[in-house]
Amino acid sequence: MMQFGTPRPARRPSLTPMIDVVFLLLVFFMLAARFGHDLSLPMDTGGGAGAYDGPPRLVAITEGGVALNGRALPLDALAEALTPLMETPEDIVVLRPAEGVALQRLIAVSDALRAAGLMRLVVVE
Amino acid sequence: MEFARPRHRRPPEPIVPMINVVFLLLIFFLMSAQIAPPAPFDVTLPESGAGERAAPADTLYMDEGGRLAFNAVRGDAVLDALAARATPDAALQIRADAGMEARALARLLPELAAHGVAKVEIVTRAK
Repeated sequence: MMQFGTPRPARRPSLTPMIDVVFLLLVFFMLAARFGHDLSLPMDTGGGAGAYDGPPRLVAITEGGVALNGRALPLDALAEALTPLMETPEDIVVLRPAEGVALQRLIAVSDALRAAGLMRLVVVE
Repeated sequence: MEFARPRHRRPPEPIVPMINVVFLLLIFFLMSAQIAPPAPFDVTLPESGAGERAAPADTLYMDEGGRLAFNAVRGDAVLDALAARATPDAALQIRADAGMEARALARLLPELAAHGVAKVEIVTRAK
């Protein structure tokens, strides 16, 4: 009778290549991920539906302060001063940054208005 | 004659628990990561206390000098690229530098509207 070699015991597949691949993926995702989620503030482009109506609500933004319709105000008082000029909170408020004003300042003013519930802000030149 | 039995060699470290942990981390990063293409230039986002969590979307970059970048397009050609966007109804996110002049944004928004971009969001960093 023919004699074959004794049957070899089934070898467990090596885990090392799989671990290599998994580590590689892990490092990739760790590096590619963007952490600390960002926030998004919707802005009106001014070209959308819904025309401006009601009394003028022009907020001029300068480096040092804000002015509502030409009258300088502290930032805290801005939302309150706008209230009598608004018919509904959906009314448009126009923001006009002066020359040299940084975007951070515009965002700070828009934050103050959003905190007061005024959501439709249009930025004009 | 009887010698002491030779000491057993220490068994190798168990590898399966480590694989479990690594898989756990992998799944965590897969779930939590937003895979985003790298920014074309360094942009320091402005800080804000309001707003909602930004979901991944088409992104327009503006650097400190007001230069525009959208996908591979740079400069004023982005407006045409935006007009030809695959999803014109989706919101466009603007990642602009905090030190950029705000008037550059004011100039850009009506142009975006003219090129068919209806919804615009400014992306900010949480304070």
